[in-house]
Amino acid sequence: MMPRVWCFLSLAVAVFVCGCSQQAPVIKIGFSGPLTGDQAPLGEDMLHGAQLAIDQANARGDALPGLKLELVAMDDQRSPTQSVTVAKKLVSDADVMAVIGHLNSNCTMPASAVYHQARILNISPASSNPQISRQGFDTFYRTSATDDMQGLGAAHYAFHDLGARRIFILDDMTTYGRGFSNEVEIHLKKLGAEILGHEGINQGEKDFAPLLTKIKALSPDLVFFAGMFPEGALLIRQRSEVGLAAQFMGGDGLFDPALIELAGAQAAEGIYLTTITTDITKIPTAQAFVKAYQERYGDIGAYSAYAYEAANIVIWAIQKAAKKDRAAVLAAMQSFKDFPGIFGNANFDGKGDPIGRQIGIFTVRNGKFEFVKTASLQ
Amino acid sequence: MTPLQVFLQQLANGFTLGSIYALIALGYTMVYGVIQLINFAHGEVFMVGAYVTLALILALAALGAPWWLLLLAGCAGAMIACGLLGGVVERLAYRPIRQAPRLNALITAIGISFFLQNALMLIFGATDRQFPAVMPFIRWNIGGVTITLMQLVVWISGAVLMGALQVLVMSTKLGKAMRATAQDRTACALLGIPVDRIIALTFVIGSMLAAVGGTLFGLNYGTINFHDGYLTGMKAFTAAVLGGIGNIPGAMVGGLVLGLLEGLGAGYLSSQWKNVFTFLILVALLLFKPTGLLGERVAERA
Amino acid sequence: MEAPSLRARYLRWAVFAALAFFVPILHPNAYHLDVLTTSFLYALLALGLNLIVGLTGLLHLGYAAFFAIGAYTYGLLNLHAHWPFWIGVLPAAVVAGLFGAALGIPALRVRGDYLAIVTLGFGEIIRIVLTNLEQVTGGPNGLLGIDHPRLWIPGRGIFDFGVDSAPYYYLVLLTVGIVAWICVRLSRSRVGRAWVAIREDELAASCSGIPVLELKLLAQGCGGAIAGVAGAIFAAKQGTITPDSFDFILSVMVLAMVVLGGLGSIRGAIVGAILLGSLPEFLRGFDQYRMLIFGISMIVIMRLRPRGLFGAAQHAKPACKKAPLKHASAAT
Repeated sequence: MMPRVWCFLSLAVAVFVCGCSQQAPVIKIGFSGPLTGDQAPLGEDMLHGAQLAIDQANARGDALPGLKLELVAMDDQRSPTQSVTVAKKLVSDADVMAVIGHLNSNCTMPASAVYHQARILNISPASSNPQISRQGFDTFYRTSATDDMQGLGAAHYAFHDLGARRIFILDDMTTYGRGFSNEVEIHLKKLGAEILGHEGINQGEKDFAPLLTKIKALSPDLVFFAGMFPEGALLIRQRSEVGLAAQFMGGDGLFDPALIELAGAQAAEGIYLTTITTDITKIPTAQAFVKAYQERYGDIGAYSAYAYEAANIVIWAIQKAAKKDRAAVLAAMQSFKDFPGIFGNANFDGKGDPIGRQIGIFTVRNGKFEFVKTASLQ
Repeated sequence: MTPLQVFLQQLANGFTLGSIYALIALGYTMVYGVIQLINFAHGEVFMVGAYVTLALILALAALGAPWWLLLLAGCAGAMIACGLLGGVVERLAYRPIRQAPRLNALITAIGISFFLQNALMLIFGATDRQFPAVMPFIRWNIGGVTITLMQLVVWISGAVLMGALQVLVMSTKLGKAMRATAQDRTACALLGIPVDRIIALTFVIGSMLAAVGGTLFGLNYGTINFHDGYLTGMKAFTAAVLGGIGNIPGAMVGGLVLGLLEGLGAGYLSSQWKNVFTFLILVALLLFKPTGLLGERVAERA
Repeated sequence: MEAPSLRARYLRWAVFAALAFFVPILHPNAYHLDVLTTSFLYALLALGLNLIVGLTGLLHLGYAAFFAIGAYTYGLLNLHAHWPFWIGVLPAAVVAGLFGAALGIPALRVRGDYLAIVTLGFGEIIRIVLTNLEQVTGGPNGLLGIDHPRLWIPGRGIFDFGVDSAPYYYLVLLTVGIVAWICVRLSRSRVGRAWVAIREDELAASCSGIPVLELKLLAQGCGGAIAGVAGAIFAAKQGTITPDSFDFILSVMVLAMVVLGGLGSIRGAIVGAILLGSLPEFLRGFDQYRMLIFGISMIVIMRLRPRGLFGAAQHAKPACKKAPLKHASAAT
């Protein structure tokens, strides 16, 4: 008798798992990024940017008559597998009209396929790997620049401005890290620099002292790391402990104050990084955003502005579609032209990449990020 | 840098890593020696030590004490906390199921490990936490090799503690009781040795050592994450087996050797594959020389 | 355990099957179906591990590796040679099964705890190798764009499973049914009885003429093969597979499911899998507390019901306790 009860019980439990979803008159906009785990600061900042846009739109009463906008945030834990699960979950919710996400390129890549299959608009504020927009998905757009640009800008700055001729390249083996570091390597070689080595590290690793000691023995001018700030911070800190005197440079994955905090201001002093923006506080069209964000959340994160822009584009598309229908929202993007965004007039090219982005160079001075210049892409 | 200098520096790196592994390995080996249990939760205890030290140092920093006092206080606090934790876990989770099949104890241990990991995440957050940089950053360049104050502290603390443990186990009555219990529990019980208490003490001491390991870990890397316990724990367990499970000097030797192997492997072969080396060593050891380097010390059973 | 009549037993299964069959029709929530499908996939894994740990008594902590091997085998065959799912699932099972047996060979030398650690080591080695061999496996980014299963339905043409939940639900349900039936037949056969004999007392079994070595390898091979099938289904369902899905935590979870259900019990493995498999989703509202509750559940279950839900009857305790570590090749 007992076992049979267990059988039914287990099936019942499983079936009524997680409760039923509410059916309320809202338009949902999906959001996905790393909200827990070591990259949570980046994901949260991105979320704040999107949330700000949604709240502003709701306050204006903008979206569609009688319907409020709601941001449904889901955590992909920077895991590609989780991203697929999250994507499927968002897609199965009939109220979700578009998805803003993901952050990491290796998450956006598989998830974009799910969104494409479901014919739902997908805008990524942060994924910079060029391959994503080359899959031919008409559902995919992004507001961030791509790594072919970033790689060029980084190589140029390292070679011409920092005078580096002997360079060791590291990456975290993710889609973003590997793609970005390959771009940097290609451009550096074209400029005539010597690449002493190109190795990968695993995300989540802690001990880089042996690796850095090995690099120290090669006497490079510069160590370039294409990866995210948790590993970046450890590399920066341990490089100083090991006595590696070379310059250190990275990309937008490092662009979070947590980098400086974790590495220690002393060790981080004088490192360089490229970002997929110039200094946002200096862009005239972004001032209103900067003020509103700082009032509400404090310091602007690496991707907050892009998420804000992405959310506003989604809201525009919903308004243009004039109805709560995924196909209509997606179709609205066809008439997207000269959108008055915070980076100036926004346009997308045929692949879904934004036109007119610039790469910025930042450094760390006195424990804070400092804008140096806009990267030259010649 | 000359190849010799590189080698010496890699040795220094490996030694630092090894000292930390050794301190944690001791806990594994002592517990296995007395009750033949692979205490999966031990890696998390080590992480608790790191976090408690972090919390204490942050709390006490306001008092403006000199850095070494903060560090000692933080470490002492962590030792107390972890000792308590180890004792409680033993009493509540392991003792009741001591007679049950060993698989159950293993699963319980894993359950505790998950519980502790998650608890740490809830209390301290899921992102990397910066370990307070209390120690002044002093670097010496000795013949091309860079040694930091941090590394020295790790080496010296490790050596002192391991020495103290050896003295405890070899030269005191308590130590003798511990060794006897590890050898034959039933006989000890018959002789009037409070076996339960000895076992509890074994857990407590092992946990206290892990706490120090955690402090040193946090100091050395500067950032800690609730995830770090699992992998470091696994490696420390490998070290314990490497030295001979149940054998206390073995754990110390095993820890140092493993740290050196890992450091040299990462430095000369490949950083990416270093964890594979560790696990391969573990597997090879268990298959071909399970008694380890110094020979295992487990209860003789009829 | 009482032996219910054959009819009662079949009736029980029939009711369960009918209920399971009608779930997608009565409750067509894609997300819930997905959770159930995942639980049944876990059930497949639990059935496979049950052969190794439950019936034969080999403590295995690296089971996720075979799941991974099955998934990657199908994934690679599909991406490079365009093998469709229905054909690709066979090599997935075979390769995973071979790995299971192959890794079992060195493991023959060790017992008990040491076996557990050796299998854990193998599991981790395979996972790290999959992460590092980017040329072949795509590294940490894994394999993308794996085909979903496709069926030719007379009159309707090609039906691609796509991202719908219901087709996978039925596929996995059917597979669980078939595998469960195979496991039941196995456990009642001479092979199954021999496995149990090995679990209870290896020395006695060997003395009775049971080919212990071969049977241990067979158990691990069969267990691996089942995981391989599950892996192929998983790969086909997700379309993307990455090494981080096949970690030690998964191995532990499957082990916990088998233990919860009761070592050796087929029914127990399935129920344990459904309960523990849907628990994380059930707790998704309490996302942050998930692992905590899971951990506590494991501790509590071990304390209160150490034999599991459908645990086998108590066997007489052996007169002398077995030594915990027998690493010398004594028994063979």
